[in-house]
Amino acid sequence: MSSEKNCHLEKEIKDSKLLAERLVSYGQSLGADEVEVAVATGREFSVNVRLQAIEDLTEANFRYLYLKVIKEKRVASASSSDLSLETLKDLMKRAVKRAELASPDDCAGLPDSVEPYVDPASLNLFDPEIARLEPKEKINLALQTEKIALSDPRITNSHGASFGTSEGAFILVNSAGFSGFYKATSCSLSVGLQAGETDERVEDGWFSFKRFFSELDPPEAVAKKAIERTVRLLKPRKIKTQSVPVIFEPAQTAWLLGFLFTCVNGSAIYHRASFLVDKLGEKIASDQITVIDDGLMPGKLGTRPFDSEGVPTRKTVVIEAGILKNYLCNTYAARKLNLTSTGNAEGGGIGPNNFYLLPGISSPEDIIASLDKGLILVKTIGHGLNPVTGDISRGAFGLWVEKGEILYPVSEITIAGNLAEILNNIELIGSDIKFETAVCGPTIKVSELTVAGE
Amino acid sequence: MVALNHIFTFSLRDLELILEAALSQGGDFADIFMEYRHYQAVVMEEDIIKETSESIIQGIGIRVISGEKTGYAYTNDINYEKARQAALTAAAIASSPSPTRIKPLSSQVIKHDFYPLKISPDQFELEKKVDLVKEVYSACLGFDRKIIRAKVALGDVVQSLVVANSEGLYVAETRPMIRLSSLAIAEDRGKREIGFAGAGGRVGYDYFAEIYPPRQVGEEAAQEALKLLEAVEPPAGEMPVVLAAGHSGVLVHEAVGHLLEADYNRKKTSIFWNKLGQKVGSSLVRIIDDPTIPNFRGSYNVDDEGTKPGPVILIDRGIVVGYLQDRLSAKLMGLPLTGHGRRQDFTCFPLPRMSNTYIDRGEHSPEEIIKSVRKGIYAERFEGGQVEDSGKFTFTISSGRLIEEGRLTAPIKQATLIGMNIDILQNITMVGSDLAFSPQIGTCSKEGQEVPVSDGCPTLKIEKMTVGGQL
Repeated sequence: MSSEKNCHLEKEIKDSKLLAERLVSYGQSLGADEVEVAVATGREFSVNVRLQAIEDLTEANFRYLYLKVIKEKRVASASSSDLSLETLKDLMKRAVKRAELASPDDCAGLPDSVEPYVDPASLNLFDPEIARLEPKEKINLALQTEKIALSDPRITNSHGASFGTSEGAFILVNSAGFSGFYKATSCSLSVGLQAGETDERVEDGWFSFKRFFSELDPPEAVAKKAIERTVRLLKPRKIKTQSVPVIFEPAQTAWLLGFLFTCVNGSAIYHRASFLVDKLGEKIASDQITVIDDGLMPGKLGTRPFDSEGVPTRKTVVIEAGILKNYLCNTYAARKLNLTSTGNAEGGGIGPNNFYLLPGISSPEDIIASLDKGLILVKTIGHGLNPVTGDISRGAFGLWVEKGEILYPVSEITIAGNLAEILNNIELIGSDIKFETAVCGPTIKVSELTVAGE
Repeated sequence: MVALNHIFTFSLRDLELILEAALSQGGDFADIFMEYRHYQAVVMEEDIIKETSESIIQGIGIRVISGEKTGYAYTNDINYEKARQAALTAAAIASSPSPTRIKPLSSQVIKHDFYPLKISPDQFELEKKVDLVKEVYSACLGFDRKIIRAKVALGDVVQSLVVANSEGLYVAETRPMIRLSSLAIAEDRGKREIGFAGAGGRVGYDYFAEIYPPRQVGEEAAQEALKLLEAVEPPAGEMPVVLAAGHSGVLVHEAVGHLLEADYNRKKTSIFWNKLGQKVGSSLVRIIDDPTIPNFRGSYNVDDEGTKPGPVILIDRGIVVGYLQDRLSAKLMGLPLTGHGRRQDFTCFPLPRMSNTYIDRGEHSPEEIIKSVRKGIYAERFEGGQVEDSGKFTFTISSGRLIEEGRLTAPIKQATLIGMNIDILQNITMVGSDLAFSPQIGTCSKEGQEVPVSDGCPTLKIEKMTVGGQL
């Protein structure tokens, strides 16, 4: 069964590659100067269970094709979930014609050259074991995780537990001679819980998300962490509005870094839509801050041999010891900014590879012990991130700390600050980075943020 | 618009055979959702038409319900054999030794049209769409010399769909949608701010020719960015909040709408699950979800399960009186269908979702509401919010004004407001007579599925809410 599924993917890759090559030639024959065709193909499985019964189970193969043509420096693109040759040829024909409607753009076009990329196999992105998992086993993992969580008397309801897998391939062919593909897998296990009585419920959850099944946290670990994260929110208090030091747990550092990514995104830079415009080479953060984008870390979630334009990924130091070293670019943004692509093309735009804050030496326990009076930020909801100004304002849940001791949970508060100031006010950096998401970081302590409450 | 028969080549008999395959292992119910969407988009930035694009999304999703369980499978190919395979995959959720019989399909004709239009998105030449984008772009960039960058995006889609189910329903419809948006960046003395505006809905291009001048979208984005250049930091702490009519509808969406979606109540995770018939808010509050408002972004002639929709009163005089239902929740709760089963696309099974949600008008004039506040904030524009089932919710304002001694004064920047939904509903002390809807560009995300929605409200006063500004 498993070898059959893996064979299916191999055949899909072969067919997709041929299809992409054929379309590239077809686009050229219609008069396009440059053509790029990408195919994403694969299989997804997901099961949600709740209160120990299956809620839903989804299983399907998917295929999408993206194409881009450039004619006289004018761009047109298209995408389709219909991969019949007839439809795709029509789309290509219309794209070549439609290119005339765009304005000539000197920065448009495929990457300048075709560069060699690392052997995808060396990056450990594909776990053949995932295709071998039987549905029963996958369902059981979700059931077991929820069962452990529900066995805790403090847990009063469940949002359910989920297990999901995906096996897929990305195939890219362009008219400059690039032709490549890589396979990747992922699997995830998660659970969402509620604790407390009606009208005083609190909720949280936890997950594990990995490329390899053998690396996935077992049900016990996911459930235990979800229970712990949920029950610690019970019986929250409100606090007065004040400015205090704030400790970000790793999952919170992750969104802060996600926001930093949108501010070093080359596209935001050439639009002047970031507070980090014109700041290359300047000191923008405290000395301890080093932020890296690295597409080549074996087995990690943000790893890939080449980006969506076929540019090899690499390790790019974004901030080094507080100094802004690089913006992250695709080919287009790089030309706009007179830089070189950092291998961050993603779809039509720019995306992170493994984008992380280099860990420090403090243990999370030591960071908490260092807090005389302040907040541990454990959960945030809502939006409120403005890359143009760096302003941050979000709904928050936290734990109130005095003299290094966690006293009680707080809720119905917001945190507000500015990323430019936060980057300079990071006092301590934890050693606890776990790469649970592609954009991630360890525990950090920020010297001051406004916490609004009563 | 696109003639369905060219795309969905299946006969009713083919669909019946697929439904039979879906219930071949038993189960209570099966449905087929087939769709074909055609998107077109034009983007202008840095003074040039940067790119045009088109996109085709087509596929078939097959669902089997057995008790409380849902089996789901889909295929990209509009192909009988592939659809049958998907049906057999979905069928595995049930495990009865004998198949469930289906009713023969009979085609239903939809007699109403909530998307009256003259020029369908697919009948309007791309060249004209490019001209429209250029007009908005110049209106934005040319609005003031402090506007240094503009970006305009126009996207339209025509979605054709068919729903067929094991109870004999067969219904087809075609839905249009246009979304026009503009972004402006203003710069003055080293300070930069961003403004955003948009318009659209389930409309045709006649809407922009006859009803909504497109250049207004560009001008509004510019005005917003310029206003923010003058804005001060918002205050922090608890204070009275007046919500401007229209944009503030996101409050009702987050604070109330989500938690009255039936699934959260059936599962007892929503704070409202045991409050049907109970008073949870001020008597001034009446909240309605209405998928039948002509040309609104959240409207549909039938929902994604083929149910004819109608308006649902969620809260009346502060009392919880209704839930938004899809088939599964309605059946499990023993309540009637409301026509709120929606899905992002064929890869997803339906969930109970909002459509166009609003707080009904009250009696106060907006002026007297503002006048009643000594010190607080006036929330004008919003960028979104989030809610948890426990009732804690936030929404973020992108701009507003201070209220001092009953008057609107300095503009304020971004701030996030947080509260507990029931507290806020109880703290609504004045409701304006000026019901308006937010721009028809909103999208709601739930369990990873995005659907178009809209929301509205009149000017509202909340006696006390936590504002997340800076000290």
